[in-house]
Amino acid sequence: MEFRKETLSNGLDVVGEINNSAKSAAVGFFVKTGSRDESSGINGVSHFLEHMLFKGNDRLNAFEVNEAFDRTGAQFNAFTSEENTVFYAAVLPEYLVEVTQLWIELMNPALRDEDFSLEKNVIKEEIAMYKDLPSFDVMEKCRSLHFDGHPCGNSVLGSEDSISDLTAAQMHNYLTSRYAPNNMVLACAGNLDWDKICSVAKKFCSRWPRQVGATRALEDCRGSKKKERIEKANLACEHICLMSAGVSAQDPRRFAASLLATIIGDDVGSRFFWELVDKALAETATMQFGAMDGTGTFYSYICCRSENVTKVLDAVSSIFHSLSQSGITEDELRKAKNKILSALVIKNELPMGRLADLGSNWIYLEQYRTIEDDINAVKAVTVDDIGSLIKQFSPGDFTQFSIGPP
Amino acid sequence: MTEKFDKHILKNGMVLLGEPMDGVQSAAFGFMLPAGAALLPEGCCGAANVIADWVFRGAGDRNNRQLNDALDGLGLHRASSVGSSHIIIGAVLEASNLSQALDLYADVILKPTLDEEQFGLTRQLAIDGVQALDDDPRHKVMLKLREFFYPPPLGRSTAGEIAQLKTLPANKTRQIVKNNFNLSQTIFMVASKYNFDEICRRMENLFGMPPRKSGEPVTVGPKVGKYTHIHNEGAQVHIGLMTETVKPTDQDYYNARVAVSVLSGGMSARLFTEVREKRGLCYAIGAHYHALKESAGIMCYAGTTPEKGQETLDVIIQEFDRLSEAITEEEIQRAKVGLKSALILQSESSSSRAGAIGSDYYMLGRVRSLDEIKSQIEQTTVESVLTFLRNNKFKEFTVVTIGPKEVTVK
Repeated sequence: MEFRKETLSNGLDVVGEINNSAKSAAVGFFVKTGSRDESSGINGVSHFLEHMLFKGNDRLNAFEVNEAFDRTGAQFNAFTSEENTVFYAAVLPEYLVEVTQLWIELMNPALRDEDFSLEKNVIKEEIAMYKDLPSFDVMEKCRSLHFDGHPCGNSVLGSEDSISDLTAAQMHNYLTSRYAPNNMVLACAGNLDWDKICSVAKKFCSRWPRQVGATRALEDCRGSKKKERIEKANLACEHICLMSAGVSAQDPRRFAASLLATIIGDDVGSRFFWELVDKALAETATMQFGAMDGTGTFYSYICCRSENVTKVLDAVSSIFHSLSQSGITEDELRKAKNKILSALVIKNELPMGRLADLGSNWIYLEQYRTIEDDINAVKAVTVDDIGSLIKQFSPGDFTQFSIGPP
Repeated sequence: MTEKFDKHILKNGMVLLGEPMDGVQSAAFGFMLPAGAALLPEGCCGAANVIADWVFRGAGDRNNRQLNDALDGLGLHRASSVGSSHIIIGAVLEASNLSQALDLYADVILKPTLDEEQFGLTRQLAIDGVQALDDDPRHKVMLKLREFFYPPPLGRSTAGEIAQLKTLPANKTRQIVKNNFNLSQTIFMVASKYNFDEICRRMENLFGMPPRKSGEPVTVGPKVGKYTHIHNEGAQVHIGLMTETVKPTDQDYYNARVAVSVLSGGMSARLFTEVREKRGLCYAIGAHYHALKESAGIMCYAGTTPEKGQETLDVIIQEFDRLSEAITEEEIQRAKVGLKSALILQSESSSSRAGAIGSDYYMLGRVRSLDEIKSQIEQTTVESVLTFLRNNKFKEFTVVTIGPKEVTVK
């Protein structure tokens, strides 16, 4: 695998990892913008704008955009998080240039009024869809409670009201300031012709104006540690989310944090698994580590029967108590490493998996990391590293949000 | 893109399939055990789900904890699933750990402890799993759709029925494992950079027991219900809709696949265009081909707020009906490129390949090469797809809705 990089005069970084033995290639724009970059009057604009990009530019309407992608057989999509908006496609190598050119065009959307009002309905349907998914709903509400006023607690989807009130002019302003070449990266991975991709990027992206205001206030957040519960009459189970502070995406301890989350809450073989799922106290109990820009979280999701809630929370508290008293064992660390290392290998076999890591490493670190770099970083973590992480972050001291039946 | 497949049949009839993959460090494997939901005795709906968990709670000389620690020690990512015909247990892991994993899986399949106390826990988890489905209407509606579309017991819920799970006894479940884990009807598949001879020798050592008679074929009953509504005070009406089409063994199979792709292959396909892009009725809308060995259909999902439920359903059915009227050359080209590209993209993943060769062998009795599939897709034309659609009009739609408001199925 060979890494290549080119920076255009307006600050757009183009990065690529070439693997000529791959059968496919992947390309994506990683824009450093999401709900945490929204002011309260425009909540939901990042995600709505992601939808609007598919509605076309001055040359193509929405139907033509969809047809242009489908003609290449691309598997393409986009997603918006609290801090990134990512547009990606996996294609056969012969279509990579065409798809890259298409994404480049779409970065300057027309934002037509009629598309804007029609798409509002689709966004509202998406909001409604997630309301019917308590596993998602509880996470979002817990995040907002945990960050308690910190912008990382902003909802990605926005609310029915914030979407209704949003105007195309507000979206246009947001687009101009955030979709700046110096606030995004164009990444590609797999079987690709670097020179061709690069010349397409130079030809079409060089005239995009650099912006000075595309910055982000970084402030760490230790979390509110509040506890709340709401009732919903149509639910059958109790859905619980726990959230506590963790290290940031830039912190070298992020590998230790991932291992810790695996030890506590992997879907099999973890402490949560043995104490909650294996004993049939909870149907699901998992923990993950979410590295973010300048901050981070450990978040757990538990689904159980209403009558088990007390037992479950007691078990959770005793898991965290024992962690803070005795830390983890060498054997737990060894198993967690094996799981994470094999997941790394499996994910990185696909150009699409490589693209995700390549793009996010560039967004957060402006650094190219090989798979081996990550493998070595995981291997180097010690029991003591995890011990000091537990000590510093006390994952048992969490914010808690629950949704369940009355 | 010329690939080869490996195949070896043990003396007892167990089929070993392999797809060698050069560029990967991972290995994916699976055992297709003839113990799927449709093959269970009456009154045991959900037992397959219990079994898929119970067999991992101790096997050979390892107890629950030791077995799971051993599996975790190999860093393997487990993938168990219950379908209509099979329980599939398998995993993906680093190729160098494959042999050790096979030793452990041989214990799981041949020597599960099936301990009484563990049974209580696994049954409770299965019951909780069914209950949790009530809080995931989008998933539940598709399970219910299969149940009402396929004639019983083919569509029987793979999650289970709470009432039947509550009364399911351990000894009866043990008997199902004994009867249905029949190696003579089991398919093993693996995709990786491997030495197939070595795998065959190991598998012969592990699984080389005497052959057994095959189980009774499934007797299929009459189809139930055209429209079913399940009331739930949620935010959306979740609509599942299914209509019959040809099976994978049919000569028109590829015409059917291309037709489904015209309907819902990409974002320029008919359903996305008409339901979401032109009318803004839904966020999630899509249809796909779904097949069992005995029967096949086109399965469609849409989720929308209650007041738009009826219009959404009407537009979807209209698009199904309109499909046989005309299809443009452009649409067929996009559908074909989409199908071929998906095929090649999936071929890079060892777990996709292992799944595909197992399913091909079960459905068709042989494994199709990517070249064969590509060329069959290539041969379809506007005319062949339209002729197929006109000769196989969508007659009846099975519809299930979950939500605050019913729809009317005309």
